[in-house]
Amino acid sequence: MEKEIKTFLIPNDLCKRAGIAGTWLALDQISVFAYEKRNIRQKDQPSHFASTTQSSVFHLRQDVVLFHPILRKLVNESNGVFLAIQSLISSKNADLRLELFKISRQYRSIIRACLENLQDEHTKSEKSDEKLELQNYITVFYSIECIWHLCEILFIDTMPGNLVLSQLLEWVSFHFPEYERNAASMLAENVVGLETRSEYWDTVLGALLQGRIKLVRALLKQHSSSDNSTYRLAEQILKAMPTFNGPGGSSLNELNMQWRHWTMDVQSKIDSKLFSTEKNLDLMMRLIVGEEKAWIEIQDKCEVWYAYLAGWLFFTEPTVKSFELGQFAKRAITKLRMNNQMKQLDKVLLAAMEFDIFQVIKEIQHMYDNGWFVSHLTDLLYHCDRLCDLEKEVPDFSAEKLRESFILDYGTTLMGHKSLWQVGLTYLDHCPNDGLQVIELLLPRIHMDTEAKAQKVVREAKNRELNNVVQSVCKVQGMLSMRRGRLGNALSWALKSQDGPFTSFLADEFLQNYIKSGRLSSTDLLDNLGSGMLVSDRLIFLGKYYEFHKLYQSGDYREAAALLISLLASKIIPKYFWYILLIESIPLLESGDLLFSSNDTFTIMHCMEEKKDVPELKDKLDILRLAATRNLSRALTFEAQIIE
Amino acid sequence: MSHSLHGTFVSEKINKIRWRPDSYNSHFFVTGSIDNVENNIKLWDFCENVEEDDIYPFLVYNLPYCGDITEIKFINSDFFASSSSSGSAYLTRVIPSYSESTSLKNEIEWKNIHQFKNGDASPCTSVTVYDNDIVTVGEDGSINLLNGKSSKILRKIDDADSCSIQCVIFLKHNEILTSNLRGQMKIWDLRVQDSNRPTSTFMISGEQVTPTCLTYHPTQRHLVITGDDLGALTTWDLRQNTYPINVLNGHEGAISEVQFNPEYPDQLFSCSSAGEIWHWTTKGEAVPSLLTPNVETNVWLAPDNVKNKLDVFTLMPTLGKPINSLDLNRNRVICGCDNEAIYLINGVNL
Amino acid sequence: MLEAQDIQAEHKDLIHDVAYDYYGRRMATCSSDQYVKVWDQTTEGKWIQTSSWKAHSGSVWKVTWAHPEFGQVLATCSFDRTAAVWEEIVGELPGPGERGTRHWVRRTNLVDSRTSVTDVKFGPKSQGLQLATCSAEGIIRIYEAPDVMNLSQWTLQHEVQSKLPCSCLSWNPSLNKLHPQMIAVGSDDANPANGGKVFIYEYNENSRRWTKLETIGSVVEPVHDIAFSPNLGRSYHILAIATKDVRIVNLTPVEDEQSLQSGVTKLDVQTMAQFEDHNSLVWRVCWNLTGTVLCSTGDDGCVRMFKMNYINSWKPVAVLKGDSSKAQCSSNNAANGNAVTAFSGTARYIKLGSISQTRETPWH
Repeated sequence: MEKEIKTFLIPNDLCKRAGIAGTWLALDQISVFAYEKRNIRQKDQPSHFASTTQSSVFHLRQDVVLFHPILRKLVNESNGVFLAIQSLISSKNADLRLELFKISRQYRSIIRACLENLQDEHTKSEKSDEKLELQNYITVFYSIECIWHLCEILFIDTMPGNLVLSQLLEWVSFHFPEYERNAASMLAENVVGLETRSEYWDTVLGALLQGRIKLVRALLKQHSSSDNSTYRLAEQILKAMPTFNGPGGSSLNELNMQWRHWTMDVQSKIDSKLFSTEKNLDLMMRLIVGEEKAWIEIQDKCEVWYAYLAGWLFFTEPTVKSFELGQFAKRAITKLRMNNQMKQLDKVLLAAMEFDIFQVIKEIQHMYDNGWFVSHLTDLLYHCDRLCDLEKEVPDFSAEKLRESFILDYGTTLMGHKSLWQVGLTYLDHCPNDGLQVIELLLPRIHMDTEAKAQKVVREAKNRELNNVVQSVCKVQGMLSMRRGRLGNALSWALKSQDGPFTSFLADEFLQNYIKSGRLSSTDLLDNLGSGMLVSDRLIFLGKYYEFHKLYQSGDYREAAALLISLLASKIIPKYFWYILLIESIPLLESGDLLFSSNDTFTIMHCMEEKKDVPELKDKLDILRLAATRNLSRALTFEAQIIE
Repeated sequence: MSHSLHGTFVSEKINKIRWRPDSYNSHFFVTGSIDNVENNIKLWDFCENVEEDDIYPFLVYNLPYCGDITEIKFINSDFFASSSSSGSAYLTRVIPSYSESTSLKNEIEWKNIHQFKNGDASPCTSVTVYDNDIVTVGEDGSINLLNGKSSKILRKIDDADSCSIQCVIFLKHNEILTSNLRGQMKIWDLRVQDSNRPTSTFMISGEQVTPTCLTYHPTQRHLVITGDDLGALTTWDLRQNTYPINVLNGHEGAISEVQFNPEYPDQLFSCSSAGEIWHWTTKGEAVPSLLTPNVETNVWLAPDNVKNKLDVFTLMPTLGKPINSLDLNRNRVICGCDNEAIYLINGVNL
Repeated sequence: MLEAQDIQAEHKDLIHDVAYDYYGRRMATCSSDQYVKVWDQTTEGKWIQTSSWKAHSGSVWKVTWAHPEFGQVLATCSFDRTAAVWEEIVGELPGPGERGTRHWVRRTNLVDSRTSVTDVKFGPKSQGLQLATCSAEGIIRIYEAPDVMNLSQWTLQHEVQSKLPCSCLSWNPSLNKLHPQMIAVGSDDANPANGGKVFIYEYNENSRRWTKLETIGSVVEPVHDIAFSPNLGRSYHILAIATKDVRIVNLTPVEDEQSLQSGVTKLDVQTMAQFEDHNSLVWRVCWNLTGTVLCSTGDDGCVRMFKMNYINSWKPVAVLKGDSSKAQCSSNNAANGNAVTAFSGTARYIKLGSISQTRETPWH
């Protein structure tokens, strides 16, 4: 199948002369710049483009129709319906087909609401390019609704006996409502002699072709000659027309017989030239009996072939079955000599009538740039079990894969939108094969310019058990906080994701800052580390050291000393921090009260000897030794006394 | 529990929704959006069609806004304060008009009052008001004291917190409560000048849980409720704030907003990121006893067993997406959601 | 419909490479003028240059960003035989109200190569911070920063000699920690007699060495660019090759006796698509984020895009090319009728004109 490939032109002279290169910028954007391949073996000198010519980088983005504010409502509302389908399926509802039919009608009413909004906006708008844009959208969605409606009739609705005529007529009159409208307004005037209106006969004929017999009869009654014999005869005939009363009424065979009788009756009346005085009535009667010539006469009056088709079927094949539509449709098209003038919409409708679902989907996919229609319709048809039939017919076809490919595409497109990414996620959630991986790839790429947004992304990742993504987002936020000089906040993020190495790094930063400035920052954070501390030894040390500080500053020297000893005995002191601890033990050793036992002092001395080569300790080493020794002697003396 | 529900799609995610306080029973409300290329504060009104039992809101005025709207608080029926993710705060005026429709206008812009030291803009995460006094907090960990009558910053508490401050409310005219990313709550006495230390600090929980919203009881302002990241509501009596009084788990998602009904102070409303919106009400009535005047009659302050004293109703079937904000006006509730729609719930049984 | 935003690049010569950070909010450009420039996107969508510096003493061929978990980090490679790693640091934290100075500092200079360094790429982050370079002398070098928080220390972990001069390389971006690391390298050697021009290397955990798994014999023309597709959890890998045409190749690991015993993966190579649409040499290939669309740059002065459908077959979908006609400017109109854009300087997009043509030769 041929598909047109569009070539987009970048309006830039340098790009034209040099050629262009492209790189992906984001999901929905591509970056293009003027480019000429340089051979690395050439001399490295300015290219012949180096000059005053300004080089540019172009960021190209696809204008996604769906992101227009009015269409965004459609996106959100239809998302709700989509999710309703998925939960309906999983709940194994007994009345599935009926529910899906109701859902199809919901989709269509959403489209119609959207059309109304577009129409309102179009009327209000004063800018010509905006009006044009809106008109385009209106045309697009109008055709979408038309196709959807037909698909609903043929593929989703269940009709007893597959009799499709009444729905078909309803479909046509829905899309060509002017006859009904005109009739209604004329009848409302409640005057006789309506035929003086210029649109009278067109309306009568139009209503006839849509099978609106009651309307035709009402209009004819308002004709000034309605009392004369010909008109009364016509009224009689129309009144006597056999109708299908639903499954409870007469059987198909009976109906067919009645119909043949009635038609023959009309034919004989025509042959008897009973209508020859009234040309219009005569035409109508000849149409009713299916006279070829009559139908050719009115060909031009039909705007589209399917309006012609519906009318013709009504009078010649009233019990037509859905699967017979295709052949009749083709015949109608040929009659109207439309074979070479088929527009895209016509092709889709024909394919639908031929029950070629695959073709319908293919056509829809190419007709519309945005995947909204094809993905939602395919999903619905899939759940109606309409696609699995195709698996037998079309080689290499997997209904599940087809549906998933559309939903995946659609969801991915939405993921690229600043606001609709959450909607995109819900679609990707229902792609059983690749959905989660795509989410894993795209979720961390969402630009998070506030912590609130980062928390939202983390929550979505947690809900889907994507721990890698959680870790990654927390790390990026932590790094960002660090860049901004917010170490405390960085630590919060590190703790949120239980990131051991990063926490250790930050704890080191705190300690190094303390060494440089003499102050511990973010004390409010250190006050309440809680169980989160356990993530990293370095952090435990920081917490304990801060505690030591607080005890010291509040005068709790005994407690401080005990803590100091336990720290020295533990294995969690960073190498660069030993000398600080040892130096800070000096005032405690020299304190008036005896704070350290002999064992404690041995611990200190042992550490001191181990670390004596540390350069920062050099000056204080002697003082430290002296203090320790003095304390030791005091301690030993004291302990000896106790023993005694 | 028969109430009517009406939803309208508005083509933008609504982060905050607020009724305009008005004694004339008008229907104005205001929404603030997020995640748009251009965000907006919109003023809405709604039409009631009593025969069809239908209510639909319509847009009255649109005010373009720089940054995400992170909070909106009305000072009175004519003015409201808002905070932006761009680091600025605004005082906006509602200008009624008889000839044209009501409009909104920014009276004061406090531009970039929150900033990181490296020059990056810092989101202003919340704003709270008391009379004409306005307080803003941000991810830069600082607190700004502003006033609706002046465009200057009255006082800035720099480095008030080593973590991002996410929520703030006034407890008394001179006292505010803030919460940060780590779950630390701090009470600040604004009369104390030249200090960036809070008067008291406590943790919302022993684990690292982030509080996502704060509110106080309408008549007893020492009763504060925090909603957090894991869906729990924690009740505090700030007269003794070491341990919470109650913790109510329930919500699936993070609680985005919690509010007491100002006219029926024992009824609480909460909404969450899982798309739930709930109405908490006490079973039966609390009868104040004259014999035992010291017994706590407020159910929310009663320790233990509070779960047995409360009924919870869902106001709407669970939406698949976060409900970010709710607001109450007598028996009407409005909420703004991430599915780009607002919902009006009329006739809530109180 | 496509719209374009024009950003004046301000380089004094043609741009050789443009790279975007993880979020698509920062852009780095490098050029024959030896400069690297970094741009940031504002909240209104405009791009502003925030840094510009002379990075090398020769043309800068490639520039690439590291994952934001490592901070704001770039790598460049140049004709001057070096590759460099750069980090953006914030200057002294200034007083209130002043903007911190931002500038990029060279963290390390990798001078091991004796010829022009033709490509430089960071490895997937699951393996820490690694960097691979390839050069005209045919050596692939893999460096690692043992402490990811200290970017001044890089060790040369491996040197792999390929027989032919190398022009490009690509890491396999597998999300799976269990997959051994894999690199594809392309050579622009012009002699077909020298054999295949695409080499696949894998890191063997047992021998702790990079071993060559495969030479793709079907590609004998010079290769100018090569790129692995993002992996959605598939068991096989997809590689795009820019050579005399655009080629898409599937590499499927095969499990058989031999490979299980030696621990060296065996690959089954299959060409899935071959596009001659450019009708000339293809210089660059680039995958989109989900690996569903491939974009190629050719000597016909065009950029072409190819998309995969649900039955895994590839088709061209669009073409971009330069044109001298004047642009039609229409400013980015605000969505709501009565909303007035209060912020001047929102990004302006111009609509691109297009021409449609039906394909003449359906492929295959």
